[in-house]
Amino acid sequence: MSEPPREPVKYVETQVRLPYHYVAGDYRARYLRALKDRKILGARCSRTGKVIVPPFVTSPESFAPADEIVEVADHGVVTTFCVVNIPVRGRQIELPYVAASVALDGADISIYALIQECRPEEVRMGMRVEAVWKPDGERQGDHEDIRYFRPTGEPDAPIESFINRL
Amino acid sequence: MARLRNVAVVGFAQAPIVARDEHRIATEMLYPEIRRALAACGVERDAIDYQVAGSADYLDGRPFGFVTALDVMGAWPPRQDLHLEMDAAFAAYYAWVRMQAGDCDTALVCGYGKTSEGEPRRVLNLQLDPYYHAAIGLEPVATAALQASAYMARTGVTDRDLAAVAARNRGAGARNPDAQLRAPATAEELLRTPWAVEPLREGYLPPVGESAVCLVLAAEGKAEAMCDQPAWIHGADQRIELQTLGARDLTRSAGATLAAEKALAMAGVGRAGDIDVVELCATTPAEELILCDALGLEAHASSLSPSGGPLCGHPIMMTGLIRLGEAFRQVSGRARARRALAHAAQGHCLQHNLFFVLGAERRWA
Amino acid sequence: MKRPVAVVGVGQTHHASRRSDVSIPGLVREAVDRALLDAGLEHADIDAVVMGKAPDQLEGVMQPEQFLAGAVGAHLKPLVRVHTAGSVGASTALTAVTHVASGLFERVLTVAWEKQSEGNAMWALSPNLPFTPPLVAGAGGFFAPFCRAYMARTGCPPHIGPVVAANARANAGRNEYAHLREPITVEDVMQSPVLWDPIRYLETCPSSDGACALVVASAEAARKGPRKPAWVKAGYSYAEAMWVPGRDQVNPQAGRRCAQAVYERAGIRDPWKEIQVVEMYVPFAWFEPMWLENLGFCDLGEGWKVVDRGEQKFGAHLPVNPSGGVLCTNPIGASGMLRLGEAALQVMGRAGARQVPGVRNALGHAYGGGAQYFAMWLVSDEP
Repeated sequence: MSEPPREPVKYVETQVRLPYHYVAGDYRARYLRALKDRKILGARCSRTGKVIVPPFVTSPESFAPADEIVEVADHGVVTTFCVVNIPVRGRQIELPYVAASVALDGADISIYALIQECRPEEVRMGMRVEAVWKPDGERQGDHEDIRYFRPTGEPDAPIESFINRL
Repeated sequence: MARLRNVAVVGFAQAPIVARDEHRIATEMLYPEIRRALAACGVERDAIDYQVAGSADYLDGRPFGFVTALDVMGAWPPRQDLHLEMDAAFAAYYAWVRMQAGDCDTALVCGYGKTSEGEPRRVLNLQLDPYYHAAIGLEPVATAALQASAYMARTGVTDRDLAAVAARNRGAGARNPDAQLRAPATAEELLRTPWAVEPLREGYLPPVGESAVCLVLAAEGKAEAMCDQPAWIHGADQRIELQTLGARDLTRSAGATLAAEKALAMAGVGRAGDIDVVELCATTPAEELILCDALGLEAHASSLSPSGGPLCGHPIMMTGLIRLGEAFRQVSGRARARRALAHAAQGHCLQHNLFFVLGAERRWA
Repeated sequence: MKRPVAVVGVGQTHHASRRSDVSIPGLVREAVDRALLDAGLEHADIDAVVMGKAPDQLEGVMQPEQFLAGAVGAHLKPLVRVHTAGSVGASTALTAVTHVASGLFERVLTVAWEKQSEGNAMWALSPNLPFTPPLVAGAGGFFAPFCRAYMARTGCPPHIGPVVAANARANAGRNEYAHLREPITVEDVMQSPVLWDPIRYLETCPSSDGACALVVASAEAARKGPRKPAWVKAGYSYAEAMWVPGRDQVNPQAGRRCAQAVYERAGIRDPWKEIQVVEMYVPFAWFEPMWLENLGFCDLGEGWKVVDRGEQKFGAHLPVNPSGGVLCTNPIGASGMLRLGEAALQVMGRAGARQVPGVRNALGHAYGGGAQYFAMWLVSDEP
C-alpha cells in the first residue's frame, strides 16, 4: 500500500478518448460521391424552388421537403471571408489561410471554402472564384476532392448582388 | 391545490427504435417525425408557438450538436426556442411549466440523437464526477449493478425475479411496432444470458439503439381541435438527488418517491395503483422494482410498461419522452385508458426522476 | 408572464483564465453562495434550481449538473439544465423566470458557469463536423467574415473595433470581478496581431473560468427580501435556422425579433431614450456597433457612429457594458447570465464603481450559435 500524498492533491488529469463512427446520411453521401465526378449537388426546395447546398432533406427556410437533386456550378463569388492566422489543434492546414463564404452559381446557400493561388491581401468580397479539383483518378468521393477555390480573374461581382445574401 | 391551466399531450410521433440507421443523420431522422406529429394534429408549423428539445452533445459526439436541429424544426421565421441538455421528457416538463406561466399555448417537444455513433457505456462514464467516480471507471451498467446488488441484498429479490421482470417487458415489447427488441423472451432464456456486470445479465439490459421523437403539447382552447382524445396533464413533478453513490440509499429512490407523491397529489390521485397504466423509464429490472416500491405498485401488474419499456428500446436522450408518448397512446388510442402515469429518469441509479399523470378528462374545471 | 418576477440576488465569481484554486463545485458555489447571501436566503428557501452551461466537452464532464446537484442545494428539488450555446447563461435565467412566473415556484436559484481552462476551449469551439471541410478556426474564425461584411455595408472605419475594445477595458477597470482589467489604448489594439482578419487579438474575448448565479422570486417573496429588487418586465429567447437562403448574420432576424418582443412587452417605445444601460454580448469588438443596430438603439448603418461619438462610453448617453462585458470576461456558459445579472445590478443600484446613475431600465442580452440564438431581458426598478 503506497503512502498518502504529502501535499494535498490539487489536480486530476484525465484523457478522454471516445470513438465515434458517424453516418453521413444518404443526402450527404450522394453529394460526396458526386464530387468524384466533378459535380457539386444541391437540393431544390419543393416550395420555394431555392437550392440548398449541400443537399438536405428539407429546406430550413420553408420546412418543406427538398428532395429534387440538382447540380450547381463549381464557380461562384466570394461574398465574405476572413484570413486565419492561428492554428487549431489537430489541423494540418498552412497559415495564413483564407476561409471564405462562396456563393456558387445556381445555389441559394453559400458554402465555406479555402481560397488559394493568390495572396490573402488580394482576396476581395465579390471576387469570382472557381474550384480546383484533384486530378482524375485521384478523387475519392470526399470533400478533399475539391482542393480549394482560386480567383478566375473575371471582374468582381457588384456588391449589391451579394451583400444581402452572404 | 390551486387551479392550474389544463394542458394536454395532443400528438406523438416516433421513429421505430433501431440499432443503427445507416441512411439518416439525427436531424434527418427527426424531420419526418415532426411533420407526422403536426399532420396528426391537423396543424401547420406556424400554429405552434414554442419549441423545446432535449439532447446531449456527448452522445452526438460534437459540441453544439443540437444547433443543427433548428434546420429541421421549422425555425424560420425565428421561433421562441429552448434546448435542454436532458432527456427530452424534461423538455416536455418545461413546456408544461411555460404554459402554466401563460407564455405559450402550444409546444413542439423534440428528442433526437444517434446513440449508435458513439459507445454509450464509455460516454456515460463522463456523467459521473470527474475526480473520483469517473476516474475509477464506473459506467452505467456498473453503477446499475451496484444498485441492483444492494437492492437484492436488502430485499431478498433474486436473479430469477429480475429475469421475470425482464421477460414481462420483452413480451410487451413484442407487441410494440416501435420497439427495437420485438421478439419475446422467456425468463429461462434470459437467465441463460451471460453476466454483463453481475448481478445484471446481458438479457436484462437494453441494446444500443436510436430514434427520433416529436411530441406536441397544447393548452385548453387549442388542444380540443388538435386531438379527438387529448391526454390532459393532471400532475407533473420532477426531483433530482445528489449523485454521490455512497451518500444515498440506492435501494430506495427518494427522488422518485417524492416526485410521484407531488405529481399524484396535484392530480388528486390517492395511490399510483389506482392509475390504469404506468410507463416506467427503468433501464434494468432492479430499477423497475425500486420504482414499483416507490410507487407502491405490484411488481408484475400487466398494466406496467405495455410498450416493453427501455429494455426493448433505449435511445437514451429520449427514452423518458417516449414513456410520455406511450402513456399518451394509452389514453388517446384504442385502449382509452382513463388515466396513465409516465415516468422519465436520467443519471446513474435513478438520480433524476420525473412523473406526469395523464387523464382522459380535464383535471381542473 | 402570469405574475411579476423579480431578481432578488446576484452573485458571481472572480473570473480568471484559470481558477486553479477551486474545483468545479467550488467555482459554482462561489457564485451561488454570493447570490444567496445577496438575497438574504438559505438553500432551504429555494424551490428549484436551473443550471446552464455551454458544451460539456469544454470540461470533459457530461451533464455536470448531475454531479453538482448536491453542491448547489438541489437534492430532492426540481432541476433543469439548459444549453443554448453562447446565449445559454441568459436563456437559463429566463427559464428560471418562467418557473416563478408559472406560479409553481416562489424562489428559484439559477446558476451558469464554465471552467473551460480544464479542457481545450479552442478545440471544443472548432468542431470538426463529420463529412465537412474543417475550415472554421474557433468562434472568431466563424464571425470574422460577418464583421468584414458589416464594415463593407456601413463604411465603418477600422478604428471602431479598437475604440470599443479600449473602452471595454476601461469599464472592466471598475469591475472587481472582471478577468481582463488592465487598461489598453486604441493604439495597443491596432498594433496587436490580427487573428482572423479583420479581428485582432485585443478585439477578442478571453477564455475564462467563472460563474454567475441569480435568485429570482415572486413579488411576494421579493418584498420580504432585504434589497430593492430588479423587476423582470420582459424576457424572451428566440432561435433561427442556419441554412436559410439570404439569412443575415450581420443583422440577424432572431435578434431583431427578440428585442422587439421584449420592448413591446415591457412597454418600451424608444430604446435609445428609455433604456439607461445595456449589457450586450460582445465577444469581438465589432459586434458592439452591430448589436446597437440589431437591438434598435439606432438605425442600420449608424451603430459605428454611436461608438465614434463616444455615446456608449461610461458616463455618456447609453453606457454599453459598464462591466467590461464579454470582451473582458468570457466563461462561455456564464457570460449570458453575467449580462443579465449586471443589468439587474444596475437597476438595483448595486453595481459599485461601475454603477450608472439613475438607471430605471436596463437591457441584458446574449447570443450564441452561428448568430442563431438570442436571449434577453429588460429589467426595471418597478414591477
